[in-house]
Amino acid sequence: MIIFKTFLKILLKNKFIIITYTAILIFFGCFNTQTNDNTTNFSATKPDILIINKDENKGLTKDLITYLNKNSNIKKIPDKKYSLDDALFYRDVNYIIYIPKDFREDFLANKNPQIKIKSTKDYQASLAEMMLKRYLKTATIYHSEIPNEKDLLESINSTLKVSTQIQMTTKLNTNSLNKMISYYNFANYSILAGCVYVICLILSSFKEKSIRKRTIISSLKSSTYNLNLLLSNSLFALILWIFYVILSIILVGNAMFTPHGILLIINSFIFTLCALTLAFFIGTLLSNKNAINGIVNVIALGSSFLCGSFVPIEYLPKSVTQIAHILPSYYYIKNNELIKKIEIINLKTINEVLINGIILIIFILIFILLTNIISKKRRDFSYQ
Amino acid sequence: MRHNFKYTLKILFQNKALIFWTFAFPIILGTFFNMAFSDIEKNEKLAIIDVAVVKNEKFENDEFLKNALKILSDKKNKDQLFNIEYVNQKQAKKLLVEDKITGYLIVTNKPKIVIKSNGINETIFKYIIEEITTTKKMVNIIANNRLYKEIPTNKISNIENFYTSIYKKILSLKDESINIKDISNKNLSYTMIEFYTLIAMACLYGGIIGMTAINNNLPNMSNKGKRIAISSIPKKKLLLSTVAASYLVQLIGLILLFIYTIFILKIDYGDNIFLIILLSLVSSLAGLSLGITVSCLIKSSENTKTGIILALTMFCCFLSGMMGITMKYIIDKNIPLLNKINPASMITDGFYSLYYYDTLSRYTKNIISLLIFSIILLVIATFCLRRQKYDNI
Amino acid sequence: MENTIEVKNLTKKYKNLTAINDLSFSVKKGEILGLLGPNGSGKSTTINCLLSLLSYDQGSIKIFNEEMTPDSYEIKRKIGVVFQEVAIFEELTVKDNIDYFCGLYIKDKNTRKKYIEDAIKLVGLEKFKKFYPKQLSGGLLRRLNIACGIAHKPKLIFLDEPTVAVDPQSRNNILDGIQKLRNQGATIIYTTHYMEEVELICDRIIILDKGKIIASGTLDELKSLATIEEKVSVEVQDLEEKYLEEIKKLKYVDLVTYQNNNLQITYKKGQNNISHLIDFFNKNKIAYNKIFSERPTLNDVFLELTGRELRNE
Repeated sequence: MIIFKTFLKILLKNKFIIITYTAILIFFGCFNTQTNDNTTNFSATKPDILIINKDENKGLTKDLITYLNKNSNIKKIPDKKYSLDDALFYRDVNYIIYIPKDFREDFLANKNPQIKIKSTKDYQASLAEMMLKRYLKTATIYHSEIPNEKDLLESINSTLKVSTQIQMTTKLNTNSLNKMISYYNFANYSILAGCVYVICLILSSFKEKSIRKRTIISSLKSSTYNLNLLLSNSLFALILWIFYVILSIILVGNAMFTPHGILLIINSFIFTLCALTLAFFIGTLLSNKNAINGIVNVIALGSSFLCGSFVPIEYLPKSVTQIAHILPSYYYIKNNELIKKIEIINLKTINEVLINGIILIIFILIFILLTNIISKKRRDFSYQ
Repeated sequence: MRHNFKYTLKILFQNKALIFWTFAFPIILGTFFNMAFSDIEKNEKLAIIDVAVVKNEKFENDEFLKNALKILSDKKNKDQLFNIEYVNQKQAKKLLVEDKITGYLIVTNKPKIVIKSNGINETIFKYIIEEITTTKKMVNIIANNRLYKEIPTNKISNIENFYTSIYKKILSLKDESINIKDISNKNLSYTMIEFYTLIAMACLYGGIIGMTAINNNLPNMSNKGKRIAISSIPKKKLLLSTVAASYLVQLIGLILLFIYTIFILKIDYGDNIFLIILLSLVSSLAGLSLGITVSCLIKSSENTKTGIILALTMFCCFLSGMMGITMKYIIDKNIPLLNKINPASMITDGFYSLYYYDTLSRYTKNIISLLIFSIILLVIATFCLRRQKYDNI
Repeated sequence: MENTIEVKNLTKKYKNLTAINDLSFSVKKGEILGLLGPNGSGKSTTINCLLSLLSYDQGSIKIFNEEMTPDSYEIKRKIGVVFQEVAIFEELTVKDNIDYFCGLYIKDKNTRKKYIEDAIKLVGLEKFKKFYPKQLSGGLLRRLNIACGIAHKPKLIFLDEPTVAVDPQSRNNILDGIQKLRNQGATIIYTTHYMEEVELICDRIIILDKGKIIASGTLDELKSLATIEEKVSVEVQDLEEKYLEEIKKLKYVDLVTYQNNNLQITYKKGQNNISHLIDFFNKNKIAYNKIFSERPTLNDVFLELTGRELRNE
């Protein structure tokens, strides 16, 4: 009890720094889920394009724009000095089409006018380019047969109207699911950084040489002491976890109460335990208070980058994901991704998720074991 | 004051926490960035899509579709788009469930595509199938048009040859004959921004160096400062040599980071080495002035000051796109003022304009903004530092 | 004799608190002046004002016959200070620390080299030249702190409680060093709240309390301020009440207390007080064990002047 009390006191004394840290994490977390933009979200099927039209908006030109408008998102960005190029670079638009002056006349006069484009050269841009080319191709072919503009447009449109029947098999609400996954993937960073930082900070206070000496000579059994300390820290980790879960409910809403949401919450709980034991292990290993900040950043950022917390795991190079296998975060995030894909939850579909969960638990046990070995060794060496 | 300069260097290099934050941390972070982002743009390029086609009677009879798909899935074709498996419907379903294919095509009355969910590959699959159908329709329309015109003149002798000739004509119209000219800037790799924010972070973190050094010199900040203040060295000389030494340490760190990012991570900073160096010098100066100002404005422990600089830098870097590249763009578009006073944005934008734009006006603007930022902070700092006596120590 | 320091009407206020109140004193060349006073009496503030680190509200300070300002680099060159707090670089070795601070005064490398050796010898850190401060014990750290302050051979040295929390060996070493410095011709201002140290090494003493000088002079002059002259304590078993009354009536006796078989008698004046007392014991056949006689200490002087103990520990 006395250890817990002291723990709380130290926690309160560091409240300012802890609150700041948590606030930053939340801020980043919220922003990350809200601005889940085109760099990570590829489900958009319409490319963002921008049309700079120098021609009169009628006839063929108008028809081309209408066609593009139907099949893509036309962005409106004021044509300032750098705004268009910036928009392209930051993928606000994927494709810019400059329709030259007298395009319509020149085209109808068989002059084959040039259309300039700027492209981000990614999927979306390719799609936009396909569209543009298809229209121009169709128009070119028909024009050699049908010189009359009105008939020409009619033929083009009747041709391009063709659409393929699509059947979708999934019934998942991918939108809120994506949001949830992106939040919980980011939570990898928040939970790790939060746990490791705070717990190391507190442990380092407990471990200050003179205090450590005093506790070793006290009548308290060392195992009891460690257990008490672990329990106090667990309470903190638990509060942190509950906090992030509540935040996710606020951000995502009711979808958190679906079986998928519940699975994500359970997964994050196991991971929080893992982060706790990892933090405890590092805290035992570390003796320098100044080093905490550095260690936290390296561990939390490292795990997050390597395991796909910030960048979707499928976009990481193979070699990186290979390395990531040694980190608990990998299994946590892998589980999030697996949960996203499950359509019906039953023992068979959840099998792989369970295996990853067990791996996380093995990590927990390893960290506890290592902590015990190290703390025993430390005692023998330094203070005989 | 060579003596003070020399010892300031010695003291700064001995400070392990300092060296970690200013030298090692950016390099470690850069390595993470590289690991995470090196493939992301490659993944965005159009890849070959795995699909399946249900082999039923209707499909076998549709020569046009069959031929078109054959061309699109031809491994020798450099524009190969699909990897096609011809299977029965049951197998196709299984492949889809197991995520082995993006979707499958089944021809009933019309071609139908079965997919799992929305996505870019799905869209492209659908689009290509439509294109094939369109071409087919085109042949028909043109044929009708000609038939309508030509039947009365009896020019058509063989109806089959007639269709083939139209089809050949359509196919002969290659992409190249369409007059589209790509005028995009050549450097489009937006992950570079990550590394530019990294440089910005390193420059601003460099402020910690100046902060630590100045702290040692101020009587109201440290005991060492008291001792130095009562020595027979004029304060101006002392501070100048201290600042110069900090700046040098900062630049050494930055050089290491540049060497690492250029030669190991292969980051592209553009071609103009002189301008890169100028920007780095000015950026470091901004970091230095930030450090000095924090050092003399805020009266608290060195750790707190370090914390303040770290947090401030992180926040600035966040706004300039370190945690999500589009952040800078969003801010530029909606709250441009915020990024005009954010040194990390100025630095990032400076490197960005060197990389992306051919003209220098934007680069120059960033250099000037950084200089103004530094000068304002340095003026504030000078006012604080000019004090010789203190009400309180 | 010329004065090294002249302070006139120095006053320093912190918001509501008057830290130094109208202080005037002078320090003669070559003397060790002790600034004595309890914690918070204004000793460090006085020194910081003298050094132009702190601003002050009134008064004038002259050092080496010149007005002391933050830009008085010629004066500063001749001053060395050892602060209460250890002010050294963790990042530098013992030798580098001394070299750095010495280098702020002395440009010539060879002179500096010699001076550093002298300083190291003076504080007895010869074995620790290459050590980092982290590896030194508290006492050794204090010695390094002193070496950093005096390595440039200043003519005027301020020592602000250099012996706080120092082991006896280091303390003796430090006190020896201070006397050596004086013998080399330095003027020294020494603040402390240990009166034993002041009694041991100071030529002249200023006692401060609540920012005011309450007494100053040589040790003997100060002690003469005390109304008592001698303190005698005797170990006596079961002294009867009536003898106590009789002792009180003995010549020059001021105060008598008897507790735990310990008899304490303070005398206002007189000589041969002890022999009178022994005569009295012999006459009345009282058995006694040990007899101590003490001269009054500065603590007694302070006690009489302020009604408080110098050290409230």
